[in-house]
Amino acid sequence: MKRYAYYQSCINEAMTKEVDRSIDLWQHDLGIELVKLHESACCGGSNLDYVSPKQFALVNARNIALAEKLGLDLIVSCNTCLMTIRTAKKKLDESAALRAEVNEILREEGLEYRGTSDVRHLLWVLIDDVGLDVIRKKVKTPLSKLRIAPFYGCHILRPSTVLGKDDPLEPTSLDLLLDALGAKSIPYEHKNRCCGFHTLLVAEEESLNVAAEALKEAMDEKADFIVTPCPLCHTVLDGYQSKALKKNGVKGSIPVYHLSEVVGLALGYSDRQLGIKRHIVTA
Amino acid sequence: MSDSTIQHHEESRDVTFRVHRFNPQVDSKPYFDDYTIKLEKGITVLRALGYIKEHVDSTLTFRAFCQAGICGSCAMRINNMSKLACTTQVWDELDKAREPGVIKIEPLRNLPHIKDLVVEMDPVVGKMKKYSNWVDSRMPEEEWGKKEFLVSEEEFQAYDKATDCILCASCVSECTILRAHKEYVSPVVLLRSFRMNADSRDGIHDQRLAGLVQDHGVWDCTHCYRCQETCVKNIPIMDAIHGIREDAIERRGTKDTSGARHAEAFMDDIEKKGRLVEATLPIRTNGIGWTLKNLLPMAFKMILKRRTPPPPPLVKASKGIQSLRKELKEMASHVAKDHEKKSGE
Repeated sequence: MKRYAYYQSCINEAMTKEVDRSIDLWQHDLGIELVKLHESACCGGSNLDYVSPKQFALVNARNIALAEKLGLDLIVSCNTCLMTIRTAKKKLDESAALRAEVNEILREEGLEYRGTSDVRHLLWVLIDDVGLDVIRKKVKTPLSKLRIAPFYGCHILRPSTVLGKDDPLEPTSLDLLLDALGAKSIPYEHKNRCCGFHTLLVAEEESLNVAAEALKEAMDEKADFIVTPCPLCHTVLDGYQSKALKKNGVKGSIPVYHLSEVVGLALGYSDRQLGIKRHIVTA
Repeated sequence: MSDSTIQHHEESRDVTFRVHRFNPQVDSKPYFDDYTIKLEKGITVLRALGYIKEHVDSTLTFRAFCQAGICGSCAMRINNMSKLACTTQVWDELDKAREPGVIKIEPLRNLPHIKDLVVEMDPVVGKMKKYSNWVDSRMPEEEWGKKEFLVSEEEFQAYDKATDCILCASCVSECTILRAHKEYVSPVVLLRSFRMNADSRDGIHDQRLAGLVQDHGVWDCTHCYRCQETCVKNIPIMDAIHGIREDAIERRGTKDTSGARHAEAFMDDIEKKGRLVEATLPIRTNGIGWTLKNLLPMAFKMILKRRTPPPPPLVKASKGIQSLRKELKEMASHVAKDHEKKSGE
């Protein structure tokens, strides 16, 4: 059983509880164990870095140091948390002065940021550590009749200087995973595009237009559903779907699944077990 | 014939350019023309288009000038991404082609289309004017030409990369929010605004910043990083956008915008609970009236599905909150010292 430290994203604790619930169901099936870091703090959600660059470095140095104390890599299942914590890591790794300043403060809590733990998305662990061949063998219910529209979300791809796993404009990792689960992933332009989440409360009209365009293309391509590795994308594409489509005069609807739910479905778990019934748009 | 020449000779092939065509004087709607030509490895997309214009179809229209990645005229969408035709190798694009041997060429997006691969740049120029994208000298006019303005190396480093911009508009073409709303300031104008506001010779910083925090300004960026990824000069455009936001939050008078309130709520919640209190985030960003009007119908649906975030008293603080608070307080004193030092300089 390979162990990892697991960063609990705020949104998965509140609005998208089904993400952690579904991961908990199948993690042992795939030979991984995620140790939840109950002492971690909100990463700042791609906002804290300009509100206070130093507090941003401190909070995320602490988040990573909690994983380093356990000698484990830090695994994240929200794209924006991933991008945010990796951005902080890059800044800390590039500046000895910043590291020293942060570590002086963390010392009292018995923590030290050393830069020894990597920060990775759950999708990357499935592909690089568990391996697509192993996953293929573990599939009990192949998703072979389904046409799935993969929606990567921005912060697992860009900025490529911080993420670097996929081509930032021609990604393949999620497609490869879907292939291993027996599904057919469809090519469509929006798979590398934005969901509009980060302006929902500041420029709602723009966000809804962005979301509607993505949803419409997936529907036009006759996808059975959209799958995303990010709970923030899910919140827009599922929760705001009817509002976005109505505003843009688009008829119809399309379900949106989390990556963790699609893995669960292929491993033989039911909609109910995985929490899929909790979505706003149900098939 | 030397080995290298043989290699070169073998590395030639037929390439198809699928080019977006539209002449508003003749065509009712745009269409694609396929041009298949024999090319050798090492040739750029611009050279190939030039060959087509000269030898195959003289009506094909595109802009180009320097052929060296300096002037920014030949930006176009090549295989679904905005870039300069003159610095893009045909062989590199063949690797990325979705249909083997076919390279798709389209005009830039988010700008009015004129003909074939040519777009109207006036909207960009208009926004540069609107946000005063030039140094407005703070030196009194009577001193012009008599005194020098010295810029320190340290100051210049803060906006050195931003001065690499060649106004090619690739970032404009790929911008998510501009696609959603044409009034949006756009990445290139934010980059230039950041650069002008960081320049010590400039005298209209506050006025420019006040414009940037209004509707369709800096807070409407959705952090998709497409602008930065497409930039032909590898300029970290998002650093400039974040730089303007940091500046806006630091200064009085520009704080009271929904964007700034939204960003600051994250800091407040981390200090109080170590985690985000999502239930009240809309109210703290936009007030009660907006929240009731915009989110109430959705809130009902979410309650039915038990997806609503818990109200603030029920949000459990992170287990390490006591230590975290102490640490944040200590870092806050570091930040205060940094500010004192900066304002003393």
